[in-house]
Amino acid sequence: MVQLRPRPSRTPASAEAMVDEGQPASEEEEAEHGLLLGQPSSGAAAEPLEDEEADEESDDEAPEELTFASAQAEAREEERRVRESARRDKVLLKEKRRRREELFVEQKKRKLLPDAVLQQLAAAPQTSQNKSYVALRLKDQELRDSRQQAARAFIHESLYGPGTNRTSVNKFLSLDNKRLPVKKAAAQFLNSAWGTQKKQNAKRYKRRWMIRKMKTPKK
Amino acid sequence: MGEFKVHRVRFFNYIPSGIRCVAYNNQSNRLAVSRTDGTVEIYNLSANYFQEKFFPGHESRSTEALCWAEGQRLFSAGLNGEIIEYDLQALNIKYAVDAFGGPIWSMTASPSGSQLLVGCEDGSVKLFQITPEKIEFERNFDRQKSRILSLSWHPSGTHIAAGSIDYISVFDVKSGSAIHKMMVDRQYMGVSKRKCIVWGVAFLSDGTVISVDSAGKVQFWDSATGTLAKSHLIANADVQSIAVAEQEDSFVVGTAEGTVFHFQLVPVASSSTEKQWVRTKPFQHHTHDVRTVAHSPTALISGGTDTHLVIRPLMEKVEVKNYDAALRKITFPHRRLISCSKKRQLLLFQFAHHLELWRLGSTVATGKNGDTLPLSKNAEHLLHLKTKGPENIICSCISPCGSWIACSTASRFFLYRLTYQHDNLSLKRVSKMPAFLRSAVQILFSEDSAKLFVASNQGSLHVGQLLEGRFRHLHTFQPQSGTVEAMCLLAVSPDGDWLAASGTSAGVHVYSVKHLKVFEYSIPGKQYTEWSRTVQKQGFHHLWLQRDTPITHISFHPKRPMHILLHDAYMFCIIDKSLPLPNDKTLLYNPLPPKSESDVVRRRTAHAFKISKIYKPLLFMDLLDEGTLVAVERPLDDIIAQLPPPIKKKKFGT
Repeated sequence: MVQLRPRPSRTPASAEAMVDEGQPASEEEEAEHGLLLGQPSSGAAAEPLEDEEADEESDDEAPEELTFASAQAEAREEERRVRESARRDKVLLKEKRRRREELFVEQKKRKLLPDAVLQQLAAAPQTSQNKSYVALRLKDQELRDSRQQAARAFIHESLYGPGTNRTSVNKFLSLDNKRLPVKKAAAQFLNSAWGTQKKQNAKRYKRRWMIRKMKTPKK
Repeated sequence: MGEFKVHRVRFFNYIPSGIRCVAYNNQSNRLAVSRTDGTVEIYNLSANYFQEKFFPGHESRSTEALCWAEGQRLFSAGLNGEIIEYDLQALNIKYAVDAFGGPIWSMTASPSGSQLLVGCEDGSVKLFQITPEKIEFERNFDRQKSRILSLSWHPSGTHIAAGSIDYISVFDVKSGSAIHKMMVDRQYMGVSKRKCIVWGVAFLSDGTVISVDSAGKVQFWDSATGTLAKSHLIANADVQSIAVAEQEDSFVVGTAEGTVFHFQLVPVASSSTEKQWVRTKPFQHHTHDVRTVAHSPTALISGGTDTHLVIRPLMEKVEVKNYDAALRKITFPHRRLISCSKKRQLLLFQFAHHLELWRLGSTVATGKNGDTLPLSKNAEHLLHLKTKGPENIICSCISPCGSWIACSTASRFFLYRLTYQHDNLSLKRVSKMPAFLRSAVQILFSEDSAKLFVASNQGSLHVGQLLEGRFRHLHTFQPQSGTVEAMCLLAVSPDGDWLAASGTSAGVHVYSVKHLKVFEYSIPGKQYTEWSRTVQKQGFHHLWLQRDTPITHISFHPKRPMHILLHDAYMFCIIDKSLPLPNDKTLLYNPLPPKSESDVVRRRTAHAFKISKIYKPLLFMDLLDEGTLVAVERPLDDIIAQLPPPIKKKKFGT
């Protein structure tokens, strides 16, 4: 097993890791520790504070000693900073929420009628039976209509939607014509009353198109 | 009999609505049919399948379920989320109760008839108690994940089967909790992406649940263990409806291809007592989806998108095998949708939400018997009158002089005055009509167009006078004490003195308009008795009694009182009272007397009923004047051309 010189760690060591002395207890542990910490041989990531002379000088120098107290103090400092920033954030958020809530209350107040009118309405009798009108909440009606629409769409989709094996009425009635010994044309061509509306529209469109064509002079 | 020029009218673009639900009532042998436009019709199956009552439709009401409860009460529920009860005496809606579950997809009555169960869009099954006045919400059952599309009650009333999307639930009625949830395969032994919709369920007394679904399967489930017992694949398309007979030995299913299958419980071997369900008979009487079926003790009833109501009596259940046991297909309405103004040759067509006024074409050519004469002037579409509001038009009429049009919906009555100036037509609505005229069942103008008779659905008859463009109420004939029935048919005598009305209980009342009194049977009875007595004695010709469509219109020739002109959907007939009646041996249908035979023979074979079947299917036929008839036909092909798309049929070689 390769004996690796224990190198100072790149990351700031937490307080728990510094339970014992800075030095590892046994050689193996030390080697493991070094392996785990996985320090690159180059000094790019090395801490300048602790590693001032590690790269250039020889490897015979003893590593920098970190006392437990200083590391602990550093850790505590770090923690305090983090806690402070979190608290500040929370306070800011709370402030923001409070301001927004006030704004909403203000807007709602503006929307409602003045208190006096509201009190009067509440005091008046609910609905008089003699009148010949019915009060309807439009929102309820819209909800009902949209549900009915959705239900109709469901039925239409399950009966006539994609995946159903539907054909047009013309094709359905023309099947027999196709199988006769003397083949006949499709039903829509044999029956003169088929599609009268379409034929009328087509005739009207043609007439209008001809008139338009006559009107524009040919260049 | 005379020679007539006949106007053959085929431009009445009448399309009936598809049938959505049928419900059969065993005690009264009546069938309730609801259509996609919200109309509900009641047919009396013992009175030659006559449509005796109907409730007009409404745009917002799309019925999805119909059922009879105890005491001959009819309920329907639809996609607007309301349960509606119909008043069968007054012919109107009694009340509508919102179920608060969203659109309602299915409804069934308990075997005792005192409770009602509805299946809603949000997956809840709601139980209602039927009280003498109304229905009351009792409780909700366990809510399911998807919409409840079909419901069925166990004959003992303890359990319920509810069909949904991809599964069927069995509920216990007392606790309201779901005992079993049976998953339905999406495809028969295969994998499919499309969800399997359980269109119908039926619960038998031995605990079997029969389900039909959109994959074309009929499946038998055991409700005690919640497992599948047997599965039949009967179609390539959806099986959309199921109905079980009361004895539970046969049931009928309808498919989207238009086929109706009959299943029967037959013993496994001729000697064994064990029985199994076997598919026995297929019937193909429809071209489009069969959305609903019903099973009466002797017949299978089916209806669907192709608008026919088909009643197929089962040979083994029918006792007397006569013409009654043949197939009945009811396509055309039993009411009159067309009225005619004789003086101006106008026809008024009634549609669901509008009226159309047409002037008949004219010709100057002449020809012999059977010729088609060319038109010198085409028929003209004069007026397209739309009614406001979502309700359907119940009845309409045009006065004989052509100056008044009246129509009625469930909540309003419209009266219009028409003025003609040099080929121009102007329309003016008469406002401030009295409120009691609304919801009229029948409207009729007197021959001189001075009086208007309105039969309301409460049983009273209103008479009004039409003067100078205004309506003035003259008199109201109140219904006879003790009967509140709506007058269905009206007829007025040519001199305007007598008015005959017939109610739903088949009695005829005659009113004297001049003296404002009510008679019964007397005036027509006195004159008619001689002839009708001989008719009763000799009886009608057997073929005459076997006609299967009711007579929709009767008119009289003003100059020849011995002639009666009447028609049904497939023939029209002129009865000559002066000629002898035919007996069973003579040929009933003889359009032309044989010219080659001698005079004596001709006189012997001529009889009173002159029937012609040239124009069919006939919607309306009337006498315009001395020598002209008008016949409005509606060929079936023209109706089919405008129906929704059917399921594709694959035929070899196409």
